[in-house]
Amino acid sequence: MIHVRQLTKAYQDLQTGSFKALDGISFDAMPGQIFGLLGPNGAGKTTALRILSTVLRPTSGTVTVNGFEVSTQPDQVRHQIGFVSTNTAIYDRMTAWEMVQYFGRLYGMTDQLLHHRMEELFDRFQMQEIRHTLGSKMSTGMKQKVSIVRAMVHNPPVLIFDEATSGLDILVAREVLRTVEQVRDQGKCVIFSSHIMTEVRRLCDRVAILNRGQILAQGSIAELSEQYAEPDLEELFYHLISESEKPNRERRKAQTVN
Amino acid sequence: MKWRNVRLIFSRELRDQLRDRRTLFTVAVMPMLLYPLMGMALLQVGQFMRQYPTQVWLINTRHLPDQPALIADQQLNPKFVKPGEKELLEISYSESGDREFQDIVAEYQKLILLENGAPLADQLIQQAMAKRGVDIAVYFPTPIRIPTLTDSATAAASISPPSEIASAYLFLNSARDQSRIGAERFNGVLLRWQTAFVAEVMLANDLPGDLVNGISVELADIGDKSGKRAAMWSKVLPFIIVVWALTGAFYPAIDLCAGEKERGTFETLLSSPAARSEIAIGKLLTVMSFSSVTSLLNLISMGFTGLFVVAKMGNNVGLPGIPVGFPPVGSLIWLLLALIPISALFSAVALAAAAFARSSKEGQYYLVPLMMISMPLMIVPMLPASQLNLGTSLIPISGLMLLLRGLIEGQFADCARYVGPVCIVTFACCWFSVKWVIHQFNSETVLFRASEQFSVVGWMKSLVRERHELPSLGSALICGLVILVCKFFMGFVARTPSSFADFAFQTVIILVATIGIPAVLMALVLTRNPSKSLRLNSCTIPMASAAILLAIFLNPLFTWITAGVMHVYPPAGNLLALEKAVSSIMDSSPGLWALLLVFAVAPAVVEEIGFRGFILSGLQSLRSKWQAILIASLMFGVAHSVIQQSIITFVVGIVLGIIAIQTRSIIPCMLFHGVHNSLAVLLSGAKAQVIEPSPLLRHILVTENGVNYQYDLTAGLLMTALGVALLVWFCRLPANGVPLESSAKNPELKLRPVVN
Repeated sequence: MIHVRQLTKAYQDLQTGSFKALDGISFDAMPGQIFGLLGPNGAGKTTALRILSTVLRPTSGTVTVNGFEVSTQPDQVRHQIGFVSTNTAIYDRMTAWEMVQYFGRLYGMTDQLLHHRMEELFDRFQMQEIRHTLGSKMSTGMKQKVSIVRAMVHNPPVLIFDEATSGLDILVAREVLRTVEQVRDQGKCVIFSSHIMTEVRRLCDRVAILNRGQILAQGSIAELSEQYAEPDLEELFYHLISESEKPNRERRKAQTVN
Repeated sequence: MKWRNVRLIFSRELRDQLRDRRTLFTVAVMPMLLYPLMGMALLQVGQFMRQYPTQVWLINTRHLPDQPALIADQQLNPKFVKPGEKELLEISYSESGDREFQDIVAEYQKLILLENGAPLADQLIQQAMAKRGVDIAVYFPTPIRIPTLTDSATAAASISPPSEIASAYLFLNSARDQSRIGAERFNGVLLRWQTAFVAEVMLANDLPGDLVNGISVELADIGDKSGKRAAMWSKVLPFIIVVWALTGAFYPAIDLCAGEKERGTFETLLSSPAARSEIAIGKLLTVMSFSSVTSLLNLISMGFTGLFVVAKMGNNVGLPGIPVGFPPVGSLIWLLLALIPISALFSAVALAAAAFARSSKEGQYYLVPLMMISMPLMIVPMLPASQLNLGTSLIPISGLMLLLRGLIEGQFADCARYVGPVCIVTFACCWFSVKWVIHQFNSETVLFRASEQFSVVGWMKSLVRERHELPSLGSALICGLVILVCKFFMGFVARTPSSFADFAFQTVIILVATIGIPAVLMALVLTRNPSKSLRLNSCTIPMASAAILLAIFLNPLFTWITAGVMHVYPPAGNLLALEKAVSSIMDSSPGLWALLLVFAVAPAVVEEIGFRGFILSGLQSLRSKWQAILIASLMFGVAHSVIQQSIITFVVGIVLGIIAIQTRSIIPCMLFHGVHNSLAVLLSGAKAQVIEPSPLLRHILVTENGVNYQYDLTAGLLMTALGVALLVWFCRLPANGVPLESSAKNPELKLRPVVN
């Protein structure tokens, strides 16, 4: 479903020159699976997901989503994905219904089909009562629900959740996680980025641990635990990140001494 | 482009903005409330605005003649006072003279004759007038008598020196408006009295008194009422339309770009099926709608409020002799037509600038300079001296406003001549602005700019620390700015040359100091390969020869372009003076070799190192080589501070840019530049004894007066055709050294500003 090969993304920075946010990462995500992207802040998770959703262009490497290449077929790729970003990304001056309807129309859905699909989703997510509520009047949880429905309205085969539970209270976060599971159960391919280990352990079939734009390890949680002889995912994550940071710490130390 | 998506985005943004109270307030509520409130304030203030009478102090009125009498019945003689003036001139007079004032005037007369005494003399009178509380004082120092021919003969026989004492002094303080206005009013009375006096003199000498009338001129205003009304509105309406079109584009543009980034919805929209260009156009149409509606509502509100105020205040407002009323209906049609390109242009520019901002606050910082840049272009057409001609029609905004002014005034014949250039320039600006907006929406560096604080020092350090083979885009732009700023200040430092040697020395020093040194220094400090950065590569003999031939072949074209530019923008006084000064300096040169050294060799070497060397190398980090060439040429043009010269050098710069990029060396550019400048020097000093003996030159160059030689049309066209063919040959050279042509194809290479 999603095949990422040697993906590199470099930025030009006025102060530090060029730096690579992603440095040749490769992974695959399959339908009916949740693929977790783990990493500390600034690891490159959001950059990778932005490339998958065609918001950013890769510097090099290939990314295919449901058979379409992100660099050469971005229009087709956009129809295959639903993207739920870190922040709730809701228009303050639009109602929940208007917001979802707007994106449904952008996806080229007919009014009849769109209406039917929206009623179904609003019922499933118990959103009928906030149907005419403006974005500015919604709670964070409501906003995230609308955001998820907006991403699912065109029934895409791939759903991308970029730290979708960040800043949510436990009740809403659980609801989001349940939704992710439901989506997976429908046979969709889900990419789930997070740095909350409990969520990852609960949801993800396979994970990739990223730091400084590179994948340090990937596989199922069981495979990783076996490979690194560490049953606790959080410990494993900490160990891998610490090990990868060692050369940087030593370099900084040497610079300070000099 | 899917117009369905554009329509969807447009209708969403429109609805969103209509639900925004701030936008609604700026667009609709403010114009509806602002003008009526301003009108009410004006009416209130108007009650205090009246003409105050001038306090006139007449001193020594006993010296005035009986006929014609300036004062009758202790009042100004009604014969010399226009209707309505009587109430505005309140006189007080001292018949036998004011002793104290006479002493003061005597002192004044002494001081005024002294060197540096004038300020003291003025201060003396000022104090006396302030003490008395008058606005103006008129002093008659000596008796005024009607002279006869007998008196004159006696005076001539006595051979006495003519008196230096004036017949009357009118003291005013121009620093005070009331005094200045009073002096103007009373001067009219004095002039009419003087005329009557001269008539009396003529009668006393047995000459007909009406001879004094001389030539009488009767002003006849043949303008009809609607025409006069149009003349007034033609200056006001275009300004209102343009200012509000810009202001109305501001807030929606910021909200639709920077605001959306702030709210985090931008990323969601970018991941939707709508293409970037569709998003950009949808948003642009929304901003345009608000820009034009703001402009229209302001116009309507101002018009109605103005009419109401005029009706209330009567003739106390408006220009004298110009009737105030509703603008002619025709003018409103022209305004509506013009509003579309005006709001399109401003909306696109505002949107592109706002797209760069990360927050609404930052957006405001970018849009204020836009207003500052646009203001002069809006104000120039309001000036009475501005008129529509080919030159002004080519200036963006100003040309359109002048065309609008002409159309409102009904000058259709003039407007028809320049409607083409105005439309071409306006639509070209709109097209470029829209392209810019789409480019901004496609640019990752614009949409996802890093939010960390920018430190100039950090950036400078990184420039030095992370040196690349060739200059970066930033260092090229900085080099261009440094050159422009240095050239600007050098213009003040440079003094008028006294000799050719002095001129030559100054010219070379300025060139080296302002262009050569910054470029070479930056190449040494900021790049790993200075010689490559300055494009000091060798070139083949065919390339060098082709560059020389190209300069020769294209010379007729450039000469015609120069003539065309001079026709469109005729040189003003300062440029003519400069030309004259340069020409006289050229005449005093020790020989042709010296002229060529100063005017051809030095600029060719130094300017090429700067513009086609360092700057163009850095600009090649841009994706398109044409963008790099255009920006480098623009800088090259602006560096020549005279507008006519700037336009010509911009065009020459494009050819030089092509040569530099295609040959990867500045040597052919130096040769082209040197030959181009040499030909200009040689042509300006072409003499018959050189031209006539040569059959070839005789066919190429023709003269009408035996002094100024020009290119023969047929020969010139033939040469231009050869030049164009040669330029095409240059364009088709394998561009194996063009850095980002290759990097654009391979995204990996985009990391490096320059790849060789």
